[in-house]
Amino acid sequence: MLTIKKSLALGAIALGLSFGASAKDWKEIRVAIDPTYKPFTYKTDDGKPTGFDVDVAQALCDELKAKCVFVEQLWDSMIPGLQARKYDAIISSMSITADREKVVAFTGKYYNTPSQVVLNKNIKTDGSPASLKGKKLGVLKGSTQEKYAKGELAKAGVEILSYDAQDQVYLDIKAGRLDGTVADVIEVKGGFLDTADGKDYVFVGKTLGSYVNYFGKGAGIAVRKQDKELRTALDNGIKTLRKNGQWQKISDKYFAGTDIWGD
Amino acid sequence: MKLDGYITSILEGSLLSIQVALGALVVAVILGLAGASAKLSQRKPLVWLGSVYSTIIRGIPDLVLMLLIFYGGQIGLNILLESVGYTDYVEINPFAAGLITIGFIYGAYMTETFRGAILAIPKGQAEAGLAYGMSRSRVFFTIVLPQMVRLALPGFTNNWLVLIKSTALVSILGLPDMTYLAKQAGAAARGEVPNAPLLFMAFAALIYLVFTTVSLIALRQLEKRYTVGVKRLAA
Repeated sequence: MLTIKKSLALGAIALGLSFGASAKDWKEIRVAIDPTYKPFTYKTDDGKPTGFDVDVAQALCDELKAKCVFVEQLWDSMIPGLQARKYDAIISSMSITADREKVVAFTGKYYNTPSQVVLNKNIKTDGSPASLKGKKLGVLKGSTQEKYAKGELAKAGVEILSYDAQDQVYLDIKAGRLDGTVADVIEVKGGFLDTADGKDYVFVGKTLGSYVNYFGKGAGIAVRKQDKELRTALDNGIKTLRKNGQWQKISDKYFAGTDIWGD
Repeated sequence: MKLDGYITSILEGSLLSIQVALGALVVAVILGLAGASAKLSQRKPLVWLGSVYSTIIRGIPDLVLMLLIFYGGQIGLNILLESVGYTDYVEINPFAAGLITIGFIYGAYMTETFRGAILAIPKGQAEAGLAYGMSRSRVFFTIVLPQMVRLALPGFTNNWLVLIKSTALVSILGLPDMTYLAKQAGAAARGEVPNAPLLFMAFAALIYLVFTTVSLIALRQLEKRYTVGVKRLAA
C-alpha cells in the first residue's frame, strides 16, 4: 500500500506545496513586542525597538545563533497573532498565568516584579481593598492587574476601569477621572511616579506578589504549544544568560540597584 | 532633536494609512459597482447575493470583521496547509489583508450608495438607449454612469471620509499605521516631552484632518464638473 503516501505526495506537489522538514531549525525567530510599555518595551525616537524585554530577546537570539526579527503587535491581539503564526515568540512582559497556559506554552520567568496599588497621596487608606471603597482605579485591559482588580478589589466596592494601554491609564489619571492604578511597580515608577505627572501619587499597601493565582509566576516567553524545541531552547537560553552575567548586565542598564528577578 | 524622530515616524505611518485607504477605496468601488448591479439585476441569485453581502457586512462592526477575516483566515489557512503536510508558514500579508478587509467592508456601503444613485435615474433613459439598439454596457457607460456620478458623490464622499478614519483599525493586524505609531511615540516620550501622549495624538489628528480636507476639496471639484448641465439653485 505505498499508494496512499505516494498519492498524497503527488497531490501536494500538484497543489504546489511541499512537505516541510519536521523539525524546524530556528535560524530566525520572530519576536512580538508591544512597544508601549516603557522601560520594558518601547521605541527610540529613530524607530528602533528597545527596552529590557528587547535586550533580553536580542541576547537570547545571539545565544541561540538566530536572527531576531521584531514584530510590533497590539497587546489585545498578542496571543491570537501567535496562534496565527504571525510570529514565533512573545517577549513583551507577559506574565505566566494559568489562563494563558491553557492556550500557549511559557518558558520559565525572565523577570518577576510585583504589582502594587498606586493612589493619589491625599487619599487616606491603609491599602486594604475595603479602605479603597468607592475609589476609581484604572488598569490595563487583559492584564494580570486587571484580573486581580476585578477579582479582589471590585467586590470591595472599588470601581475598576480598563484601558487599551497603560499610558492611557496615566492620561486619565491626569485628566482627573481616576484616583489611581494597579500596575507593575517598576513600570509605574519609571513611567509615572518619577515623572512630573506622578508627583502627587504614591504606592499604598503591600506589593501583591502573594496573589499568584492572579499575577502568575513572573514574565515569561510565550510560544505555541507545538514548538517544544523552541521553548526548551529559550528556557535554556534564559538560564545561560543568568549564569554568564549577561542578564545582570541588561538589568543594570535599565534598573540599576533594583532586583527584578524576584524570588 | 528627540521630537523630530517621533514626528518622522508618525509621518511615515501616515503614508501607510493613506496607501491602505486608497487601495481599499479601489476595492470598495469595484465591489460597490458589482454589488449595486447585482441588487438591481433581474436574476434572483444575484439579487440575493448582493443583499446578503450588504446586509451582513453593514451589520457587523469593522473591528470584529477585521479580527475574523485576518486571524480567522490565517488560522484557517494554517490548518488547511498543515492538513496537507505543509508545515512552513505562509503569511497573509497584513497590508493586503487590511486593505482588502476595509475595501470589502466599504464595498457594502458603496453598494447602497451606487444603488440609490442608479435608481434615481429615470428608467426610461436606459430603455430609450436599448430601444436605439445600444448594448447594455454602452447604455451603462454612456447614459447611466455619467449621471450616476453626480447623484452618488455626496454618499461617496461620506463613505470615503469614514473609510480614511477606519484605517486606524489596521494596527490590530500588526500594521504600524499612524495611530499606533502616535501611541508608541506618546508612550516612549512620556516623562521626557511634556504631555507627550496628547501631543502626538493631536499631531496624528491634524494629519487625518489634512487628508480629509484635501479629499473634500478634490471631491467638490469633481462635483462641480459633474453638475454642469444640472444647474444648482442659488443658495
